[in-house]
Amino acid sequence: MNKAVSIIITLGLVVFIGIIFTGGTNRAQSVEIKNGLQYITINAKGGYSPQITEARAGLPTKLILKTNGTFDCSASLVIRSIGFQEILPQTGETEIDLGIPKAGVPILGVCGMGMYSFKVNFS
Amino acid sequence: MPHKYIFHVSGTHCAACKILIEDILKEQDFIKNVSIDLKRKTVEIETNNEQNAEELAQILTIKIKPHGYALSVEKTTEENKKDDVIWKAIPIGLVFLILFFILQKSGILNFGIGGKITPITSLIVGLIASVSTCLTIVGGLVLSLSAKVSQDEVSDTKTFLLFHTGRLISFALLGGLLGVIGNAIGINFTFTAILGIIASLVMLWLGLNLTGVFSRNHVTLPGGIFQKVFSVFRKIEHKTFTPLAVGFGTFFLPCGFTQSIQVAAISSGSFLSGVSVMFAFALGTLPMLVLLSFGSASFAHGKHAPLFFKSAGVVVIGLGIFAFLAGLAGLGIINPLFSI
Repeated sequence: MNKAVSIIITLGLVVFIGIIFTGGTNRAQSVEIKNGLQYITINAKGGYSPQITEARAGLPTKLILKTNGTFDCSASLVIRSIGFQEILPQTGETEIDLGIPKAGVPILGVCGMGMYSFKVNFS
Repeated sequence: MPHKYIFHVSGTHCAACKILIEDILKEQDFIKNVSIDLKRKTVEIETNNEQNAEELAQILTIKIKPHGYALSVEKTTEENKKDDVIWKAIPIGLVFLILFFILQKSGILNFGIGGKITPITSLIVGLIASVSTCLTIVGGLVLSLSAKVSQDEVSDTKTFLLFHTGRLISFALLGGLLGVIGNAIGINFTFTAILGIIASLVMLWLGLNLTGVFSRNHVTLPGGIFQKVFSVFRKIEHKTFTPLAVGFGTFFLPCGFTQSIQVAAISSGSFLSGVSVMFAFALGTLPMLVLLSFGSASFAHGKHAPLFFKSAGVVVIGLGIFAFLAGLAGLGIINPLFSI
């Protein structure tokens, strides 16, 4: 194989890897406000969805993580800013109290191995 | 009166090559003595009668050619050849990486397994885990260690058997232990994340080694601590105990699937059920890992060994970088850079 051809192929492949990593699939947001409480639901299975959620600041907020036959990394959730580290049940809902979030301070959740993450922005 | 010849030898990628070439050449009746200098890549041959050096080189090359070696009077332009191999290896390695990440992203592996965890379900979870993101760390480590062992050693089969046995036994025993003492030893996230980072560094180092970025036996790394850790690692690499211990250590490597099953073992509440759940899981991961280690061994002894080692090196470096960045993100040191 020609060296120049190889280099061009290599560059193409590197760009492709970049596209794979950055292209996220974002599904519908699910933020609900009921009786003055804000509920943010995030599905945890083979990653978190939605990956980015926009929510309101200044409201008592609960984060609900839904698992459904989740065995992969997204079941072992770490949210450092509130000191949450737990392995979620394989199937079920886990409610996490976020208190009253301030505007501009996002909540960042990652799985134990760090390859899946989600972010909730408050404004 | 004996006659001495010195030839340049190409294709020597491992310490075992020396033994193999010497054995083959010694089988020839007219050869009295053979000695190989791996560092200089030269062969010194003593024969009974005088011959034309060029002809002798040709005759002997025919004998060792099936194993991927060649003798020549003149030093072949090795540098150019090396470059070619690495430029082939990089795209090959990248293609494998892309296939792997596409597989992850496709979500094929995310089908649910409902209900209670039985040994059967944990076997299936193990099968899925062995081709999932867990392959980044556990598989990457197995691939890099296997390739390295095949490169250095003659008896790689024994090493692999020990590794896989160690892995199966330790999963069963630790599973049983989790069943008995339950929550007393919670699985510590920070601990596993740090282990993951160490594993990714080992992978990066082995990967660089496999691609031959550093010339053989002259691995120089900046920083004294690294060098110390790795020299210890190299020393213990070949003993019987080490593959067993590394197999044991894979229990603690960060892998979401392993952690889920560990939790299941904890909640199982008895030694036997803990054993059966964890053992079934390890058994499920076995086919893929065996394929990786013995597959790399069979390539390592074939004609395309240099290309295989370099491609494997590229794959391992890619997985290592991925695991390293993910590990840092998991510890909260950097923001997650990517999502798959």
